[in-house]
Amino acid sequence: MGLTGLEIFKHLPKTNCKECGFPTCLAFAMALANGKTTLDLCPYVSDEAKEALASASAPPIRMVKVGVGENELEMGDETEIFRHDKRFNHLTAIAIIVNDNEEDIEAKVEAINALEYEHVGQHYESNMVALINASGDAATFKSAAEKASAKTKKAFLLISDDTAAIEAALEVLAAQKPLLYAANKDNYEKMTEIAKANSCPLVVKGEDLNSLAELVEKIVALGHNDLVLDPGSRDTGKVLVDMTQIRRQAVKNKFRPFGFPTITFTSKDDPQEELLQAGTYLAKYASIVVMKTAKREIHLPLMSWRANVYTDPQKPVAVEAGAHEVGEVDENSPVYCTTNFSLTYFLVEGEVDSTRIPSYILSVDTGGISVLTAYADNKFTAETITKAIKDSGLEDKVKHRKIVLPGGVAVLKGKLEEESGWDVLVGPRESADIPKYAKEHFA
Amino acid sequence: MIIIGERINGMFRDIAEAIREKDPKPVQDWAKKQEAMGSGYLDLNVGPAVSDRVSAMKWLVEVTQEVSDLPLCLDSTDYDAIEAGLEVCKRPAMINSVPAVQDKMDRIFTMANKYNAEVIGLAMSAEGIPKDAESRVALAMELVANCDAYGVPLDSLYIDPLVLPCNVGQDHGPEVFETLRQVKLLSDPSPKTVVGLSNISQGTENRELINRNFAVMAMACGLDAAIADACDEELIAAVATGRVLLNMDIYCDSFVDVFKTQNL
Amino acid sequence: MAVEIVKERYRSQVREVVLGATKEEGGTRGKTIKVGGQTALPFLHFEGENPNRPVVAMEVWDIVPEEWPDNLKSYFEDVYEDPAAWAKKCVDEYGADLIALRFKGAHPDRKDASAEDCVAVLKKVLEAVEVPLIILGCGVSEKDNEIIGPIGEAGAGENLLLGTAEQDNYKSVASACMAHKHCIIAQSPVDINICKQLNILIAEMSTPLLDKIIIDPVISAVGYGIEYSYSIMERARFGALQGDRMLAMPAIANVSQEVWNKKETYVPKDEEPEWGEQADRSLAWESATAMAMLHSGTDILVMSHPRAVEIIKTHIDELMQNS
Repeated sequence: MGLTGLEIFKHLPKTNCKECGFPTCLAFAMALANGKTTLDLCPYVSDEAKEALASASAPPIRMVKVGVGENELEMGDETEIFRHDKRFNHLTAIAIIVNDNEEDIEAKVEAINALEYEHVGQHYESNMVALINASGDAATFKSAAEKASAKTKKAFLLISDDTAAIEAALEVLAAQKPLLYAANKDNYEKMTEIAKANSCPLVVKGEDLNSLAELVEKIVALGHNDLVLDPGSRDTGKVLVDMTQIRRQAVKNKFRPFGFPTITFTSKDDPQEELLQAGTYLAKYASIVVMKTAKREIHLPLMSWRANVYTDPQKPVAVEAGAHEVGEVDENSPVYCTTNFSLTYFLVEGEVDSTRIPSYILSVDTGGISVLTAYADNKFTAETITKAIKDSGLEDKVKHRKIVLPGGVAVLKGKLEEESGWDVLVGPRESADIPKYAKEHFA
Repeated sequence: MIIIGERINGMFRDIAEAIREKDPKPVQDWAKKQEAMGSGYLDLNVGPAVSDRVSAMKWLVEVTQEVSDLPLCLDSTDYDAIEAGLEVCKRPAMINSVPAVQDKMDRIFTMANKYNAEVIGLAMSAEGIPKDAESRVALAMELVANCDAYGVPLDSLYIDPLVLPCNVGQDHGPEVFETLRQVKLLSDPSPKTVVGLSNISQGTENRELINRNFAVMAMACGLDAAIADACDEELIAAVATGRVLLNMDIYCDSFVDVFKTQNL
Repeated sequence: MAVEIVKERYRSQVREVVLGATKEEGGTRGKTIKVGGQTALPFLHFEGENPNRPVVAMEVWDIVPEEWPDNLKSYFEDVYEDPAAWAKKCVDEYGADLIALRFKGAHPDRKDASAEDCVAVLKKVLEAVEVPLIILGCGVSEKDNEIIGPIGEAGAGENLLLGTAEQDNYKSVASACMAHKHCIIAQSPVDINICKQLNILIAEMSTPLLDKIIIDPVISAVGYGIEYSYSIMERARFGALQGDRMLAMPAIANVSQEVWNKKETYVPKDEEPEWGEQADRSLAWESATAMAMLHSGTDILVMSHPRAVEIIKTHIDELMQNS
């Protein structure tokens, strides 16, 4: 993002010496903002000003990476307050806690590994193991790191205030590029040194926004830039407010100390309550949510919600193509067809469901665009629908040969009958009229 | 774009007479009428014929506020009159206007800070109105730098690139559009922009046609506000349409009616 | 370092709507409920007011909810043949702020209950509980238009929240609301333009109704395209704060209706072992869906599972704490 004339002007000497060839510093600043000249033409600009101007043109939130290989996670690099304005770029990482003094560390890590789902055509998974130095002992922490890393390739979050414990665990894990937690006001110098020496990203933990900003500046001054922010809040409402502030400061004010990814922790012990905290934080800007529970029934709705929030609003979203069952279908159930544009599909599904007549919905792969658009684009045609019928296995699932076509493309009827050999019933134009239609035809 | 209703101005005979006779009715009628058409602000100008501009401005503010809650735009070259008006304004007002002339900027931005007022800054200097966009933007930059130095929020500054009648300064047109675009790059947040719309058609035939075409073209260049004839139905419809097409208002079938009730 | 807090400057606010009426106000409710009135985005107390906490309405049907899974039905086994007792249990035991009375039984394929039957149920429920009521039809417009008039009349004075007006079918509900001074649910099919236009259409019938509209943007369950409704609500709420008066209405989300027919809430663990245990999964689905809509600016959540209601109310308490 370019700098404005005013931002540049503020860093110029304001002497109007004309040596740059412009009549005033103001004019020079504007020429710079428009990319018509270069800063080095000013003989008097200070190094601080040069640096400030260089960093001000950096993206509002730095991208920070944790982990290696295919489990490497990218965080930050966000530009929006609202997802509808463009998109949220990087899925919030879900980290799950393992204590170093736990009985069966391997089993817990395997449970985290196993937290993945194939759901409505998408792959969901947990992303990080958050290893806590609960024992307070460096050797225990190291041995836990050994056990855990033998079982997973997922990225690690190493949690201890004790720099010796962090160093011990790094003897095992440094090559995995874990995220270190955390530099606080007491240990930040040593913690920063360790993070730099091992090229690991580092969480900066403040006691509030003010102390966080202060600490970030100190650590940046020590030469480490791969940072993740923790404002220290743990109450749901306060976390929401702090996360909102950090995002706004970074994106709207380009406030550099907050131009980093963020981390949040659930505070509840009841997994159901944790779910709501985690769900809130992932929608409101957290780059990482650290959780206690690894229950499958909690993570499925959570990851579904995460997939929704991080869906790119500018890309059409598709549901899986094929025959979807609505209710307890049998060989006599009616068959509707529509496209695989998710909004269209879900509207149709809702209406078909409300008919209370078990039915199939054939979603035709149109690349995720709506019926009329797909028709216009030759993606919803007699041929593509026929192919979808054959591919879906519907001909084995139902013994009739009748399919309901969306009313908006009634014109396809003849060709489709010829092509597929099915009887084509022209359905309503609007999905809202499906219940009435179903009652007249299938009740 | 928002509309600053221009009709309460002593240049019009009914308003001049109302000021002279201290008759609030014409002023209040125009205030209500302009509000009902979707004005976001009401411009108040005591006009050239008044001897005591200070008390006249005060009176205009008071009688207008009796019937309308819209913010006011105090329009005068007499800064004492503006200050007198600001003192009695119930809600933050807009100062119309200040050129890029240092002593004038010093006074106006101090005042803006004190009364939490917005400011219209004219892209002209003591030497007058420049022709090319580059010089206009340079003057805008001076206004921006001063506004910022006086601690007035930059989005409270409205830069007026200065519109000349199209039959006189036809070549100024493209320069004005270019200025509107470039002003947005001066700062973050950027200053807003405003024009005196009716100037574009001064002395021409078919003024309304010229006004509304200029308005939508300027909107596409980022124009935020226009001091304009709020009672020109076609202008209001064109502006409402422009707002929808620029995704400033959420579309609905009755978008023109909604614009009128919004008083942005 | 003192970080200067970034506050958005909004020029407008969400309308405040009162639901229910006490004796003094011509009804029989023990108390009324206010929703809306926000001058900031949800729960951002540092930049404006969230004067009224979001509320939870629990669903009560006029027939037995056969289709609900057992883990949900079991909470109501002793009462679901009697809507009045059911409503009372929701209020007394589960802390429902309102009751959403859904006349499912009016559906021609169900009991085809008559307007008189519905009115009788309404009267019993009004007697049984003191909280304000939301009235939802069976979903078949023709039938709902038949029953809404008599229901509105029977509830005159109670300031009910009557559903459901749609762009091509709003006049009967709006008339019932005008005649008997009720509030109205204006429903639009995941479409912000229709949402706005419907408010205008209702206002054209009766300007005072503008301050009695609750918008229903039509939601879906988590995992089922809820992001569309979420973003529409965020846009509507942001628009309202920016001065769009025709979108400045409090909002309702029919969470229960969207959630309890989804596979994830009823398929047992032995059929989908990967999904985890069904009872906890289903209640998580309802509370997660409610949570999602809450953060987009929803004011009234219609829910069913008592434990989900309890958890979401705790969540709301925490979000309303002025931090």
